[in-house]
Amino acid sequence: MGTALTYTEAELVLGLKSRSEKHFGYLYDHYSPALFGIALKVTNDENIAGDVLQEIFLKIWRSIERYDTDKGRLFTWMVNIARNTAIDTLRSKAHKQGLKVQELSSNSTGTEQFAVHQSVDQIGLTKVIEQLNKEQRIIIDLAYYKGCTQDEISKILDIPLGTVKTRMRNAIIQLRTILKQL
Amino acid sequence: MGASRYISSGLIEAYVSRLATPQEAQELEIAINQYPEVATAVEDCRLGMEHYIMLQSVTPPTVVKQNLIRIIADEEAGKLTGEEAEETQIIEDTPGRKLYVSSSWRWAAVAAILLLLGSLLLNYIYSARYSDYQVRYDALLTSNNTLASEQNVYRTRMEQLEHSLDIVKDPSMQTVKMPGTKSFPSSLATVYWNKASKEVFLMANNLPQPAAGKQYQLWAIVAGKPMDMGVFDISTDTAAILQKMKSVDNADMFAITLENKGGSPAPTMDQMYVAGKPS
Repeated sequence: MGTALTYTEAELVLGLKSRSEKHFGYLYDHYSPALFGIALKVTNDENIAGDVLQEIFLKIWRSIERYDTDKGRLFTWMVNIARNTAIDTLRSKAHKQGLKVQELSSNSTGTEQFAVHQSVDQIGLTKVIEQLNKEQRIIIDLAYYKGCTQDEISKILDIPLGTVKTRMRNAIIQLRTILKQL
Repeated sequence: MGASRYISSGLIEAYVSRLATPQEAQELEIAINQYPEVATAVEDCRLGMEHYIMLQSVTPPTVVKQNLIRIIADEEAGKLTGEEAEETQIIEDTPGRKLYVSSSWRWAAVAAILLLLGSLLLNYIYSARYSDYQVRYDALLTSNNTLASEQNVYRTRMEQLEHSLDIVKDPSMQTVKMPGTKSFPSSLATVYWNKASKEVFLMANNLPQPAAGKQYQLWAIVAGKPMDMGVFDISTDTAAILQKMKSVDNADMFAITLENKGGSPAPTMDQMYVAGKPS
C-alpha cells in the first residue's frame, strides 16, 4: 500500500459504518488490488474474479456493522471475506462442472498466471517467487488460496500427513525471511 | 502446551495459512487469549502472510468499481424509501467447513440433553401424579362437603328433637291423644298443650300423606264451635318433631281434618281423620 493514506483505519471504519459512500470509494481504491489478487489466485479466471470482487465489496459494505476492531485489523477481516467468497465461488463452480477441487488446484500451482496478470508489485513478487522453492509456494497456495485441508495437501503433494504442518511452517518462515529483505 | 511449544509446533503457521483443522484453530485461539507471546507470534505471521497477499495485488477492471458504486447508491436509496436491502449471509471464518464442537462441549451438550430428557420425564410423572392427586383431592373435598352438610342436617334434626323434648318435659304440658276416627282408624296424632303459656304443639304420629292441593288443618272445639288452629304439612319428621300451632286458652276437643291447601274457615266433617279430648 504505497499510496499516502488520508484516512486512518479507525476513521475509515467509522465512515463505512455511517454508510459514507465516499469512504467506500476510498476503501475500494486502496484495497481492491489486494482482494482482486486473492480472487484471481483462487478462481484462476479474470471474469469470475471480477464478479467475485464485486461480491466481496458488497459483503464488506453490507456487513461492516459486524466488524469489531477489537478482534483484528480491518485488512485481516476483509481478506477473510475475500478468501471465503472466492473459495465458495470456486467450489460451487467446481461442483456444477463436476470437477474436484483438487484438479482445479493442481493445475493452478504454476507460475504462468503471474505472466498473464500484471501485478501491482511485480518486482517484489518475482523476488519472492524466485526465492521460495516450488513446494513451499505450492503448499501455501493450496492451503491459503484453494482452501485445501491437511489431508488433501498430503495427497496432492504425496507427503505424510504429519509432515504437512512442518512443511508449512518452514515455507512461511522462508517467506517471512524473504519479505524482510524486500 | 506452553507458549513456546505453540510457537515451534507449526500450528501458528498452519492457522494463519488456514491449514489448521477447526480443532487446532480453536486450541490456538485459546492459547492466543492465554499467552500474549503466542498472540504476538500469530500477528507477526499474519502480517507476513498479508504482505505476501499484497505482493500479489492485481489492479481490477474499472467496471467493477462502477457497478459497485451504482449498486450501493441504489441500495441506500432503497433504504431511504423503506425497502429492505437484500439480506446477505456472510460466513467470515471458514468456507464450507463443518462446524467444530470440542469434545468437552459435546459432553456438556450430551449431559444437557440428558438432563433435559430427565427433567421432561419427571415433569411427565409428576404432572400425572399431580392430576391424580387433584382428582383425589376433589373427591375428598366433595365427600367432606357431603359429610359436613349431612352433619348440619343431623345437627338441625337433633336440635329440633331436643326442642321437642324440652316442650314435652314442661310440667305444665298436657298431652291430648287424638286417635283415628271411624273413617280413618289407623290415624293418630297428639296435641301438646301448655296450660300455662297456652301454646299448642302438634305431633302427627300417623297421618297419610295428603293428595296434591290438600293440607291438614287442626281445629280446637271451644264452646261447641270449631276454631282454626293452623294448617300443617306431613314430612318425614312430623312423626317425631313437634310443630307449633296457634295458641288457645281453652278447648273442649282437638281434631284434624283434611282441607284444601291453605285451610278452610270451617272443617269438612267427613274428612276428619283424628279427634281427641283433653283429659
